[in-house]
Amino acid sequence: MDEIRENKVQRFEEFIDCRLKPDLVRAIAERDKVFEQQKIFLDLKRNIENLEKNDVTSLRTLVNLGSEVYMQADVPDTQHIFVDIGLGFHVEFTWSEALEFISKKEERLDRQIEEYTQLIASIKAQIKLVYEGIRELLELSADRSY
Amino acid sequence: MENGVKGTVTPLASVFPVEGAQKAAKRVQETLANRQKELDYVHNFVVDNTNLVNLVQRLPDELSHDVMVPFGTVAFFPGRLIHTNEFLVLLGEGYYVERTSRQTIEILQRRGKVLQEQVDSLKATIEDLKIEASFFDTTAIEAAEGLVEIREDCVEESPLEERANQSGVSKSVGSFEDNTKDATEDEEYARMMARLDELEKVELAAESNDEDGDEDFCSSISPHAFDHHLSDLMDSVQQTEDKRAINTTTEYPLQNIGLKQDFVKQSAIEDLGVPLMPKEKPISVEKPLLSPGLRKKVDLSTASRTEVAEDKSTSYRSETGSNSSKAFTGSIVEHTHGLQTKSVGQTTTSQPSKPVSRFKMQKGGR
Repeated sequence: MDEIRENKVQRFEEFIDCRLKPDLVRAIAERDKVFEQQKIFLDLKRNIENLEKNDVTSLRTLVNLGSEVYMQADVPDTQHIFVDIGLGFHVEFTWSEALEFISKKEERLDRQIEEYTQLIASIKAQIKLVYEGIRELLELSADRSY
Repeated sequence: MENGVKGTVTPLASVFPVEGAQKAAKRVQETLANRQKELDYVHNFVVDNTNLVNLVQRLPDELSHDVMVPFGTVAFFPGRLIHTNEFLVLLGEGYYVERTSRQTIEILQRRGKVLQEQVDSLKATIEDLKIEASFFDTTAIEAAEGLVEIREDCVEESPLEERANQSGVSKSVGSFEDNTKDATEDEEYARMMARLDELEKVELAAESNDEDGDEDFCSSISPHAFDHHLSDLMDSVQQTEDKRAINTTTEYPLQNIGLKQDFVKQSAIEDLGVPLMPKEKPISVEKPLLSPGLRKKVDLSTASRTEVAEDKSTSYRSETGSNSSKAFTGSIVEHTHGLQTKSVGQTTTSQPSKPVSRFKMQKGGR
């Protein structure tokens, strides 16, 4: 009887290590990616708001040509900004349109994060469940041995 | 099996366990894969660098370029690249320099050289790993096949040849090709061992009183390559003699350490004009009287050793039994107090053993 229990315990542990834990890791990685996107759009929003506040019409920046070699660039008219809306498309916006878009994008990202958080929570719950099962089995087998 | 011929038959699998060899092969494969990834990574850098050089070269052709200027990672502004000959280059650690196009190209070319060196060194490492992997693979296959290693002590020269022929045929186990291989190899070794034995006997007779404690670095037997067998066979014979030597004189163990340094000096003095493998033979520091005679002896032995190391046919004398097994980790046999009186006699007696001592020295050379 004990051997069967030990086998079960071992199988449960394997299940945790081979299926649940990697799933958890992957889900967390996906959620982190979405976090990053969120941060990027937040920064963009702040920058655009800054431009608007200071009425910046032209801009002098340094452009990275690759391998950290920079070249000066001049933006004569900052009224139109091209934003990546996904799937390889860039849309020309005015500031206000850009801000609107960014807020919509942020909503969508928040929803995605919420989904991932739930997924992560369910995986964690499953892991806890299996651990409890293992503990029960062990306790029972320990009781049996008395 | 003949009488009087001792031999060992060891299956290769016992020396290199099959699973162990396979595991080692796998590990080497993994390391190889890692190195390959690193190589690709660095190669990408090289490609980027080249592209950048081309770009930097073309940019100053125009006063300004119309570009999309990035604003963060997801937004662009339409704009222009201006001051097309001025580049701000990051040198690392927060240091930036403004350079012209040509200067930037020079910087990038220097970077490219460094990257190329990295690529070359990685490639060399990968080559070595590949060789290692192939060795492990073949070893695993051989061990799985049940290849057997046969090792014999040589007893006499001429009768042994015949015996070796027969023993080679009768003893061989394993694949058919290995049978013939073993036979011919055993013959050669038997012959060499016989000659070695003669030489050993002559030398030992002369040196029986003079041998010091040896520093014996006889290597462990490395079975997998047949061309190591010779040295190992020699070593095994030498080991028995070394034990004898150690038993006879253990008087000057401490001297040996000091002897080494002195030897280095003396070998410099001797100036044989050939690269020596010294630092192995200690010379008596406490017997300066002996040094002339000793020097002569050392001269002879080092000459012989180096010649053998270079595989030349002529050899000098070789009174001092060289117990070195592998290159540069030789053993030391040294003659101290009895040397002066015997040196002359030894030189004369050792001369007849000239052609044979080569093999002994050859062992010392490995």
